Amino acid sequence: MSVEEQGRISNRLRIFFAVCSVVFLGVLAISPIREQLRAWKDYKRAYVRFAESRPETRRLLADFHPGLDQIWLPQLNVTDRCTTCHQGIDQPSLMDTSAPQPFRAHSIIPHRATEWGCVVCHQGQGLATEVKEAHQATLSWEKPLVPVKYIQASCGVCHRSNMAETPKLNRGRDVMADLYCVGCHKLQGTERPVMLGPDLTNIGNKTSREWIYKWLKDPRTITDTNGNVTVDGYENEEEPRMPRFRLNENELKILSVFLGARKSSPVEPYKFDARILTVWEKKPDTVDQGEIRFRQMFCSTCHSLAVVRGGETQIIGGDIGPELTKVGSKITTDWLISWLRNPQADLPHALMPRYGWSDEDLYKVTRYMLDRLTDPDLLKDVSKLAEAQTAEVQLGTRLFQEKGCSSCHVISGIKSQKDFGPDLSAEGTKTVSQLDFGDSKIPRALISFIEAKTSNPVSVNSNARMPQYHFKEGDVAAVITAVLGMQGPQSVPGIGTLVVPASNTEYRPAGEFGKVYQRYKCDICHKFAGHGGTLAPDLSWEGSRAQRRWIVDFLKNPQTLRPTLIFRMPQFNVTEQEANLLADYLTMAFQTELVDLSAANPAQFTREQAATGKQIYESKYQCQSCHTIGATGGYVGPNLINIGNWLNAAWIQGWLKNPQALVPDTIEPRRAFSPDEIQALTAYLLTLKQNGQAKPAAASGGLQ
Amino acid sequence: MRWHLIFLIGAIAFSSAIQGCRKKPAAAEADPVENAYSTESDWNNPQQNIPLNYQQTQGQKVFYANCVWCHANSTPAGPSNISNLKPTPALANDGATLNSLSDEYLQNIITLGGSAMSKSAMMPSWGMTLAQQDIRAVVSFMRAIAQPPYQPSARSASPYTGRER
Repeated sequence: MSVEEQGRISNRLRIFFAVCSVVFLGVLAISPIREQLRAWKDYKRAYVRFAESRPETRRLLADFHPGLDQIWLPQLNVTDRCTTCHQGIDQPSLMDTSAPQPFRAHSIIPHRATEWGCVVCHQGQGLATEVKEAHQATLSWEKPLVPVKYIQASCGVCHRSNMAETPKLNRGRDVMADLYCVGCHKLQGTERPVMLGPDLTNIGNKTSREWIYKWLKDPRTITDTNGNVTVDGYENEEEPRMPRFRLNENELKILSVFLGARKSSPVEPYKFDARILTVWEKKPDTVDQGEIRFRQMFCSTCHSLAVVRGGETQIIGGDIGPELTKVGSKITTDWLISWLRNPQADLPHALMPRYGWSDEDLYKVTRYMLDRLTDPDLLKDVSKLAEAQTAEVQLGTRLFQEKGCSSCHVISGIKSQKDFGPDLSAEGTKTVSQLDFGDSKIPRALISFIEAKTSNPVSVNSNARMPQYHFKEGDVAAVITAVLGMQGPQSVPGIGTLVVPASNTEYRPAGEFGKVYQRYKCDICHKFAGHGGTLAPDLSWEGSRAQRRWIVDFLKNPQTLRPTLIFRMPQFNVTEQEANLLADYLTMAFQTELVDLSAANPAQFTREQAATGKQIYESKYQCQSCHTIGATGGYVGPNLINIGNWLNAAWIQGWLKNPQALVPDTIEPRRAFSPDEIQALTAYLLTLKQNGQAKPAAASGGLQ
Repeated sequence: MRWHLIFLIGAIAFSSAIQGCRKKPAAAEADPVENAYSTESDWNNPQQNIPLNYQQTQGQKVFYANCVWCHANSTPAGPSNISNLKPTPALANDGATLNSLSDEYLQNIITLGGSAMSKSAMMPSWGMTLAQQDIRAVVSFMRAIAQPPYQPSARSASPYTGRER
């Protein structure tokens, strides 16, 4: 090898090494340069530039630091670096949409973003520092941000009671409770009620095999002229609790004849007073009289009827009990009479009060229900079904369990099933790998899975036993919100200390009052000491509010106090003795220390005070904008025409001082009345008395 | 010329590594109604939904509890009280009347009542009943549903007359 040749090789080698070292240095430089170019550092720099372009630069940069920002909530097991990029999250001046993302401030919410971070509500990955990793699902992170339309689900993780701030979540929870999802699924925060569907042990006494067939086939029975199902056959404007199951013709028939044969103890026919029967059997207007009585008794407070108004079918009435439009085509006479006389004898958990019926009323009303509330076409397309054979009873028993009927309905002798469907109590924490998508085409994500399951169960699994629900618009989103909010008790280790538990609602007074209270089911509509329904006024402090004589009169002959109220107190036909017992108990037990009844005596007020009161009522405060006296005034508050016989003087004074102290959610605004004005107004209001017997409520019907 | 090739490969690897770091996912433009905390249907056109944020939703709640009786044509109980009142109260979505009034003015008339602002005494004062944040929320709800839509004015307006100074 010549020297020249050697020189050339070493020259080439030198160049080779030089190039190699440049490439090596370049590769080494990638790492620090990459670090410099991380997306979050870009956002940090962009934020500084953005802040400098705004007039309030100093405030925007007050807490700025160039590194990663992090919020650590060890109790919730949350590490949240979102504020690294979302730097203006707490700056009031960046709240409007002109501020660019990611620097825009959050709109006003109850938890400060700088204390609670973002992932507690929005989910996503708090530790991530890349845009995609934080917001979307990736191979290594299956939980993307929860869409804002379901964001209230996150409130429900800690807040187990319904809050006014989360209407969608509350609606979803209520819908799920109403539809008895808990019959088949385990749910978080919902106990199985004592009674889900009706007890079917004696269903054969109540209705016919053909009716059962029709009901199982389609529980919604009312269709409009175009053949569209407008209203269901069970509840007013809501999904019927009994959903439509996927049953074939054979299964329908077997279940119908099987159920039609369930009559272990027969119903004793009721013996009407012979004199009543001879009079009313022959009267031509018995049915009409029955209808009038049905309305007078305000059955429509709880039951609805389909009424044709101006060519449109409307459902009018309450939804506590079943809709009764076609009940005459369903039930047998003997069963109806026995039910009306004592609902709890047939069904111990029935919500229906036990009315005090006279034979005459009972006869008229049952005739009306069986003759008028019927649909001759209801069962016309159902072929006659034969009495059940032994084989059908066996098959029926098996189907009753296999289809999940026994999850909600009881038949004595057939084992009841719990947790028939999948456990949903921690559904919100499930990962994609825990969900069974089958071979469906649904996007592989938890939310798509729940969306598909809720709107059409068969779209996920063609063999799904879950029935098809027809939710109203908006309710699908509400139900999905509620399901996503169920994250199980152990989802987060320290969450127990933060969970706001749901309140318990059990209140059962004992003694004579307790018996009457149970008989008339007062707590279905009224609230007592925080327990009971919301349809009617809270009676926890009724003893401080109303005069005893007024309570007795009202119980015997209830009439509406508020012109705009639709629901009315039914006429229970309470006896004199019961009315006095209830009035005594209410006035003694349900009082508040905020109202001292002995402090105000109606006799202490002078005529001058009353005159002043009338003047300020009418001109200074113009109370007539909401209250009616006689025929003139507003619809919003109660009619004051008889207030002198109704309310206690001390209650009126306390009320004028601060209405919300006595009834927290009343809409009467608290005004700045002076003590003299309160005296004058009280004096005036006490002079408003209607003398003589009040007109019976019978004058106006329940359905109007 | 092999080293040319090596250099080229190195350069491409280098630049693509840098490019990879800079890539940002394009954010899809979200549907405001889908992404709203809740919605209110447009009173003039019930088919249309108006997106509400959290604060406006709280205002909606306060409105339907307290104000709806006199400031809407239909109420949860059915008939509106509007026909009983003279002067006729403004509807809450009446942008033609309310858009020109400032937030402070609306908060004041709700807080202090009609007579304090030289208007009808039929409008009661709500300052002792509702918290200030509730009243602010109601105003933000009214702004959200206003027809014609509300545009915040750049000029400040008097809190007592509501007119621009």
